Amino acid sequence: MSASPPKLPVKRIYRWDLDKTYLQTDFDTFRQLVRTAFQKAHEKKAVPGAAALIRELRAQGDSRLCIVSGSPTQMRTVLAEKLKLDGVEFDELVLKDNLRNLVRGRFKAMRGQVGYKLPVLLESRARAPVDAEEVLFGDDAEADAFIYSLYADMVAHRVSEPVVHRVLEAAEVYSDDIDRVIKQWKEIPQADPVRRIFIMLDRLTPPAAFAHYGPRVVPIFNYFQAALVLLGDKHLTAPQVLKVMIELVQTSGYNLLTLSNSFQDLLRRGLPIAGVAEALVEALQGPAAMFQMVRPMPDIIAAFSKRVAALGLQPPPPRVREIDYLSILDDARPRTHKQRRKT
Amino acid sequence: MTTVSQRPVTIAFDVMGGDHGPLEIVRGAAQLTLDTPHIHALLVGDRAQIDQALAQVRHHAERVAVHHAPDFVSMHEKPNVALEAKPDSSVLVAARLVREGEADAMVSAGNTGAGVLACARTFCLIPGVRRAALATVYPTAVGRGEKNDPFSLILDVGATVDASADDLVAFAVMGSAYARIISKNEHPTVALLSNGTEAQKGPARVVEANQKLQHVPGLRFIGNVEGVDIPKGTADVVVCDGFVGNVCLKMLEGVSETVIELARYAYKEKLLWRAGLAMLSSGIERIKEVTDWEQYGGAPILGFDRLFIKAHGRSKSRAITNAGKVAARAVSKDLANAIQGMLPKS
Repeated sequence: MSASPPKLPVKRIYRWDLDKTYLQTDFDTFRQLVRTAFQKAHEKKAVPGAAALIRELRAQGDSRLCIVSGSPTQMRTVLAEKLKLDGVEFDELVLKDNLRNLVRGRFKAMRGQVGYKLPVLLESRARAPVDAEEVLFGDDAEADAFIYSLYADMVAHRVSEPVVHRVLEAAEVYSDDIDRVIKQWKEIPQADPVRRIFIMLDRLTPPAAFAHYGPRVVPIFNYFQAALVLLGDKHLTAPQVLKVMIELVQTSGYNLLTLSNSFQDLLRRGLPIAGVAEALVEALQGPAAMFQMVRPMPDIIAAFSKRVAALGLQPPPPRVREIDYLSILDDARPRTHKQRRKT
Repeated sequence: MTTVSQRPVTIAFDVMGGDHGPLEIVRGAAQLTLDTPHIHALLVGDRAQIDQALAQVRHHAERVAVHHAPDFVSMHEKPNVALEAKPDSSVLVAARLVREGEADAMVSAGNTGAGVLACARTFCLIPGVRRAALATVYPTAVGRGEKNDPFSLILDVGATVDASADDLVAFAVMGSAYARIISKNEHPTVALLSNGTEAQKGPARVVEANQKLQHVPGLRFIGNVEGVDIPKGTADVVVCDGFVGNVCLKMLEGVSETVIELARYAYKEKLLWRAGLAMLSSGIERIKEVTDWEQYGGAPILGFDRLFIKAHGRSKSRAITNAGKVAARAVSKDLANAIQGMLPKS
């Protein structure tokens, strides 16, 4: 675990979901749901590389880690303990108060994700410095890509009030909650803070399924891919990416093939990371002597170069376009367990 | 996530040239990455088409790599002419990648001749093997091996048109090793295809091969069989030269197509016949299940130091997935070494 970073003005905010994004959680069946609820902190497993990535993102000391999870508030202690065990220090940990929803008879709110996460994100944004950049992490199990994109476009005022209204209605959000979201939104100063939205492909959803969200949303198969993109975006340095890579190799069986294939997958999807290979070479050969740490895989750079050469010409980056939320309303609707299993 | 205990095996897929285009091949390879954590797919072909197909299917990107090849050999092209004109055709590039160690074996659903020729130009023959053989499976009346496999193996079915006695001996050894590894049939029976079961029947090379095969250690040679014994499943491995094998295979295919045509005719012609067929339908379905060639994926080209599985041109994704699994199993069990170890020392 890195030493506590010095407290600097907040320049960056990293927002994370927990289940299936940070934690390897199975709750597609009732039995899995019960087992998850009774797991102790040390029994919970993080997605490989997630803890290392967060630690490196936080290392500069100028960022904030905000976690919004659909897990019930009763799990706060065990989740906080798990994060502590992994060396992850957070600034916000918001969990879902489903007991309150139950008592109030708000059954739709118990299932819904949009009506829960969107207000939490907006509320947190209201407290953030206007010029703070954001990078968001979610997964393909629920509606994270939709919610995060809508949040980004609402803060940037790229989406109109009637559209937000229609989306929230489609997502079965109660009308008084809709009014509250709209009011909250209007109080937030306009900015365009969201740089990337990473979607961990827990269900291996084909990446093309997220194409309509534009290049801001990056589906990933592992956190090495996120680290590479964040190196390209200058949120991480090459030695930091290597640290994430080392954790994946040492703890989760990643190897030369899986890492170079992950790298090539991003290139094929048009992500601008061709230059990051050079940065990694420099880090390996530089004074930090990272080469010593990746001694099991001295051929990593050669493998990456080979994967680049195998592709021929680099495709153009995906086109930035406006998201037509009304055409993808289905993505916002709460999914039942049955639907989840089907996908 | 990646947690693999078995040694990773990479299969190069020639994505171009199949009857259904790149999508089916990519789907099959993608499914392979989901089914088997230790198998990696190296997709060789037009990068844009592969990317487009891959983006639409569930797959494990950590186990997929793409290698761009700008050309491909189509089904109607003459293999030698096409390979000369297209040195960067997908089948040749895939073979080169296997030779260079980027992949362990290759699978193609494209032009058979081009595939065999690409192997001949790129791979080395196993020491002791003079000519390669194309093997295929054929459904028979009996099950065999650990899996109660209804398929027997026939080789050669077209790679070596005029095989010598020594070639036939090598084919027998290769077929036996393949059946042992792939069909999990520890002691497969091997027979020579001839025009009579007596050892002295047939052309000189077959008679000579018969004598030699009786002395190959570790080979369960049962003598000669006739054409009628192929569907009966008398032997697990049937050995012949490429000319006879190809004629035989085409005839067997023709017979089964004719039977299906006759059944269709009967179905249309008389209500009574239709009722009869309907009553048999569950049995027919069962036969279809146990004789489903797609579970084997394709035909191996045996004799080279690297394996090539030739999938049927009309292969759909399931056959491609299985071809990849068969190739990976042969690699894991070191088929080339198993063949070499059984060959008679000259």
